[in-house]
Amino acid sequence: MSSALRFEWVRLRTLRSTYWLIGLGLLLTAAIAFGVSFATRNDIVTAEDAGIIVTGGAELAPFLAIFLAIIGIFATGHEYRHGTIQPTLTAIPQRSQLLLAKVLMVALTAAVIAVVSMAINIGIGSLYWGSGPDLGAEPLNEVLPGYVVFVVLYAVLGAALGQLFRGVPSALVILLVTPLIVETLIAALSLWSALDWLQPALKFLPFSAGGRLIATTPYEASGGPEFDFFDRWASGGVFAAFVAIILVVAWSLFKKRDA
Amino acid sequence: MITARGLYKRYGAKVAVDHLSFEVRPGMVTGFLGPNGAGKSTTMRLMLDLDNGGGETLFDGRKFGTIHHPMREIGAVLEAKAFHPTRTARNHLRMLAAGSGIPFSRADEVLEFVGLSEVKTKKPKSFSLGMAQRLGLAQALLGDPTTLILDEPANGLDPHGIHWLRDVLKSLAREGRTIFVSSHLLSEMSLMADQLVVIGRGTMIYNGDVDGFVQRFTQSSVLVRSPQAAQLAEVLRRVDGVAVSQAPQDGALQVSGIATATVGELAFQHNVMLHELATQTASLEAAFMSATGESEEYVARELLGPPGGEPALQPGAPAEPSAGPPAAPPVPPSQPGDTTPGGAE
Repeated sequence: MSSALRFEWVRLRTLRSTYWLIGLGLLLTAAIAFGVSFATRNDIVTAEDAGIIVTGGAELAPFLAIFLAIIGIFATGHEYRHGTIQPTLTAIPQRSQLLLAKVLMVALTAAVIAVVSMAINIGIGSLYWGSGPDLGAEPLNEVLPGYVVFVVLYAVLGAALGQLFRGVPSALVILLVTPLIVETLIAALSLWSALDWLQPALKFLPFSAGGRLIATTPYEASGGPEFDFFDRWASGGVFAAFVAIILVVAWSLFKKRDA
Repeated sequence: MITARGLYKRYGAKVAVDHLSFEVRPGMVTGFLGPNGAGKSTTMRLMLDLDNGGGETLFDGRKFGTIHHPMREIGAVLEAKAFHPTRTARNHLRMLAAGSGIPFSRADEVLEFVGLSEVKTKKPKSFSLGMAQRLGLAQALLGDPTTLILDEPANGLDPHGIHWLRDVLKSLAREGRTIFVSSHLLSEMSLMADQLVVIGRGTMIYNGDVDGFVQRFTQSSVLVRSPQAAQLAEVLRRVDGVAVSQAPQDGALQVSGIATATVGELAFQHNVMLHELATQTASLEAAFMSATGESEEYVARELLGPPGGEPALQPGAPAEPSAGPPAAPPVPPSQPGDTTPGGAE
């Protein structure tokens, strides 16, 4: 197992896209943190503003999570796109170990980068926050670890999708289209009276539920579908279960199929 | 020592590899030969547990999946360009080294060995096929393995490169390593291999040494030129099992089924003057063609002749044998194709 992890570590750090994606993710979220901090410099910073600053606007557009998910997709999808799965498996023929090493390394990278990103964003915010919001109080004390879990789940999902589709493009499409189009569409359809029975199911939409991990305020319908999400960690559990299902399917197919 | 037993692989209804069993012994180069699509790559993938199928392959008595750090014992390259286009050659090898507990310095050693030192920090997307093959060989040698499995390693190499590869493989074999190399070109294999495993459509055609293959699948013949060719042909035809044909242009005789020396003796006994007497051995390519000709998977169509050029059916021969008449009446013993008009003897 340790050599599979070492393999993955060298694989990850000898790829230029790793640095590009991480750099771009940190930069974009820092830019959002700066923009919001600057715009609210004369106001009292609310927990909602602080959440946006700390996560770089992840509630609106989770850039860092998506970029780390792409790193996850590359971890598995590149092996097929470039045919390296053959040398990889002749070095490490234990497929479960290999996939586990990929998932662990991607998850670890995502966790570290999420923490680094929050540190940068808090640093930027503190330039303008006179006294600053209390990061140890509700809801920020939960949003901060929630954000780490959120980014890690996205990254693991990327690796699982790349393995499931054995390539990069399909995995990317699923990752981007499902939350943006499919879930939005289902939520919109549930507003139609003939389909309002959909509303109780909306709390199980994985990406929407995952978003609750970094929510600073409770869900409000405000013209949208009337339903309640589970609480923060249970909603995170819904997203985690979705990621786990994809991963298990990808893993069992990886074990079974020709490489 | 590699022992493959009953390797079997099916894609839907099509059997790609049909119960292949063979051994690859250390100390020599074993060529794995077959036309394109014969199942060579699939066989190698089965051997390395990359594909699921029947049968088993043992490397010194152990299955591939049970070997700890297999790269240190088995170096395998199945595809020429199996690397990320922007990861440098050196980093590609370092990555695999990390996964096999091999020190990073070994990457530079093997790159030096295959002559890629100058481009080791370059992105391999610009590599030619020949350079990619060299990187592949470097990858195979990374763990200093006792067994090498290479799929078409000479593809894309120039003649100089092929010569180099042959010398490398032969010297590695001399060190006692087990080497299994595939190719669809017999000319390559005849230069490199000591033993051959020849397959066609997934089935075994020949397993043994190169000379044996040639003897079994080539017919040597004797070329004779003589001012008294007709007389000599007459004499030779009287010998059992001898076939003689005469080239229409220059009257040279092509004799098969007889030793060259015997032709000379017969000519001498019958006072026939000879201008030329030579043994003709069909080339290895010809042997390969005759051995695998019927088992080629993808055969290009012959150029079609002018329309209406089909030979006329013999009178009395059934036009379609599968018509299925109600009851077979007593048929005269006419066998279509038995007497071909214009056929030579």
